[in-house]
Amino acid sequence: MTDTAETLPPSAPKRARDPHRRGPAVWLRRNLFRSPLDGLLTIVFGAISLWLIYKTVNYVFVTGRWDVIRVNLRLLMIGRFPDVHVLRLAVTVVALGAWGGFIAGFIRGRQERSGRVPHGERFTAARALDIVMRLWLPAVVVLLLLLLSSTAGPWITTGLALVAAVAGRAIGPRFGRLRPGPIGAALIVTAIGAVPVGLYFYVVTAVGFDDWGGFMLNLFLALCAIVLCYPLGLLLALGRRSSLPLVRVVATVYIELVRGAPLFVLLLLANVALGFFVPDTLAPSTSTRAIVVFTLFTAAYMAEIVRGGLQSVPRGQFEAAKAGGLSPFQQTAYIVMPQALRNVIPAQIGQLISLFKDTTLAGIAMGVFELLRVSEAITAQESFRGQGLIAETISFAALLFWTVSYTMSRESQRLEQRLGVGTR
Amino acid sequence: MTDQHDAGSPGAPPVYADATVMSGAGTAMIELESVDKFFDDFQALKDIHLKVASQEVVVVIGPSGSGKSTMIRCINRLEEHDAGRIVVDGIELSNDIRNITEIRRETGMVFQSFNLFPHLSVLDNVTLAPRKVRKMPKAAADQLGMDLLTMVRIPEQARKYPGQLSGGQQQRVAIARALAMNPKVMLFDEPTSALDPEMIGEVLDTMKELAASGMTMIVVTHEMGFAREVADRVVFMSDGQIVEVGTPEHFFENPQEERTKLFLSQIL
Repeated sequence: MTDTAETLPPSAPKRARDPHRRGPAVWLRRNLFRSPLDGLLTIVFGAISLWLIYKTVNYVFVTGRWDVIRVNLRLLMIGRFPDVHVLRLAVTVVALGAWGGFIAGFIRGRQERSGRVPHGERFTAARALDIVMRLWLPAVVVLLLLLLSSTAGPWITTGLALVAAVAGRAIGPRFGRLRPGPIGAALIVTAIGAVPVGLYFYVVTAVGFDDWGGFMLNLFLALCAIVLCYPLGLLLALGRRSSLPLVRVVATVYIELVRGAPLFVLLLLANVALGFFVPDTLAPSTSTRAIVVFTLFTAAYMAEIVRGGLQSVPRGQFEAAKAGGLSPFQQTAYIVMPQALRNVIPAQIGQLISLFKDTTLAGIAMGVFELLRVSEAITAQESFRGQGLIAETISFAALLFWTVSYTMSRESQRLEQRLGVGTR
Repeated sequence: MTDQHDAGSPGAPPVYADATVMSGAGTAMIELESVDKFFDDFQALKDIHLKVASQEVVVVIGPSGSGKSTMIRCINRLEEHDAGRIVVDGIELSNDIRNITEIRRETGMVFQSFNLFPHLSVLDNVTLAPRKVRKMPKAAADQLGMDLLTMVRIPEQARKYPGQLSGGQQQRVAIARALAMNPKVMLFDEPTSALDPEMIGEVLDTMKELAASGMTMIVVTHEMGFAREVADRVVFMSDGQIVEVGTPEHFFENPQEERTKLFLSQIL
C-alpha cells in the first residue's frame, strides 16, 4: 500500500477530473453548463434575467418620473396631517424608538437574569453583523425616504429616534435584571403598556383620527388590529374546543360566518350599513370602524390557526399537566397554549402580513385616506395630471408594503429558530 | 373483612385472587372497590377490588389490553370509572373537581412516553406544579427542583430542554417532576417500555431507590426482574380482571391460575 502510494507519480491526466479543483470556469461548467440542455437553459434564462434587470434599472434611474413622489412624499407618508401638529408625530416617533429599544434591552436583561444568555455580553463584530443582516432592508428604505424628503425635519426625527433607541437598549437590561415583587412587575408592565396608549392620545387629541392618513395610517390600522385580534382569536379557538355546547356553537357560528364573507364586503357594510342602526353623532369614525372590522375578521382566521396549533399538542401533554394537579386554566396557559402558538408561527405571521396588506382595502371601501388612495389621488394633481404616473406611485406604495411585509416574514423565521420549532 | 376472605363461602374469590389483602399492616392508602370501566361497549375493567397499603409496592403485570394502564389511570382520574369506589388517602374520587384536584396533588404519575413539557427547561418542568399549584416561591421551588434532580442524578442537565436529553434521562426528569408535588402515591405506567434497552437500568435503579425510601407505588411494567426484586405484591390482570395476586415468590414459583402460568411461560 504505502509503496504504491509513494511510488505513484503525480498523475497529470487525473487532474482534469479532480473534484476539488476550484475556479470560476470550473464553477460555471459544473453549475450552468453541465449538459447541452443546461447550457441552453442558462443562455435563455440568463438573457431574460439580464433584460429584466436592464428594464428595471432603466425604469428606476432613467425613465421613471419620480418627481410626483418627491413632491408628495409627505402626503404619502402622513396624509393631510396639519402642519402645526407635525411636531407631535416627531415626538411620537422618537418616543417609540426609546420604547422599542427599552423593551429589547428589558427582554435581554430578563434572559440574563434567568441565565439563558451570559451577563453583559460585549458588542462584538458578530453581533454587529447580525444587526446589519436584520435591519439593512428597512434601513435602506428609510434612507431612501430621507433622501427624497425636502426638509430637515425627518432627518432630525430619525436621528433622534435612533439615539433614543440605543439609549433605551442600554438602560433596559438594568430593569430587566431586577427581581421585582408582583406589584413591581405589574407596575413595569403597566408602564410599558401605557407608553403607546399615551402617545396615541397625545397625537389624537391634537388631530382627530379621521385626519390621519398615508402610510402612517396603514401601519396604525394594522398594528391596532394585530394587537386586538389576538385575545379574541385565542378565546374563539378555545371556545370552539369548549365542552360547553353553547360556547362551542357561538364560537363556531362566528368563525364560519366571518370567514365566509369577503373582507371587502364587511368593510362596505361597516361603512354604509352602520348608519342605519346608529345615529351619525354616535357612530364611530371611519378609521375606527375599519379597525373593528379588521380585528373581527382577522380574529376568525386567527382562531382557526390557533385551533390547528392546539390540535398539534399531543394528548400526553394534557395528561401530564392534569396529573401534576394543574387547573384547566393553568393547563391551557402554561402547557398547551405556549406549544400551540409556537407550532403555528408561520401561519400566524402569514395572516398578519395579509392583514397589513389588506389595510389598503379600507381606502377603497371606506374612503380612508391611506397610502394606496393617496397614490392614486396625487396622479390627479394639476401638475401631474394625465401623464400616466400611476405606475410610479403604485410602485412606490408596493415598495413600502413589501419592505414591511418581508421584514415581518424574516423576523418570524428568526423567532421560529430561536424557539426551536421542529427540534422538540 | 374476615367473612370476605373465607375461601369456603360461595362466590368469594380464592385467596390467591384477593387483591384486598395488603402485605403491610395499617390502613389502605389506595382502595378500589367494585370498579368497572367501559369504553363504549368494551368493558376495560370488570369488578376490580384492590387495596394498597402505605409504603407498599404493587407491581401490575399482564398481557397488553388487559386493563393495567386503565386501572391506574382511573386512580388519578385521567380516565373516569363507571361504577364502584376509588379512595386515595381517605379522599373518595367523585365528580367534584376539588376532590379530583386534591387526589392529583397526592399522586405523582410517570408515563410511558415521558410527556415532559418540551417548551420548558428541565428545571422548570420539575418546578412548574409546585410553583403554580402550591404557590411555592421561585427560589424555594428551584431549590426543591435541584434537590430532586440531584436525587435522580442529573442536576447538571437542569438548564437544558427535554429534547436535548436521552430517553433514560427524560424519564428520570419525569420521576423528579412527579415527586416535586411531594405525593403520597406514585403511579408508574410502563415507565421503561419506550426506552432503549441500555437505558432501562438507570430508570429502574431510580425506582428501586424510591421504593426503598418508603414511597407507596403502583407500577405497571413488563420488567419481571423488577417485579421479583422490588414488589411487595404482584397483581396479574387479564381481560379487565384481577386474576391472581401474591408475593413475588408465590407468583414466579407457584402460580395457581392457568392464565397466569400461560402468561409467565410466554414472557419468561
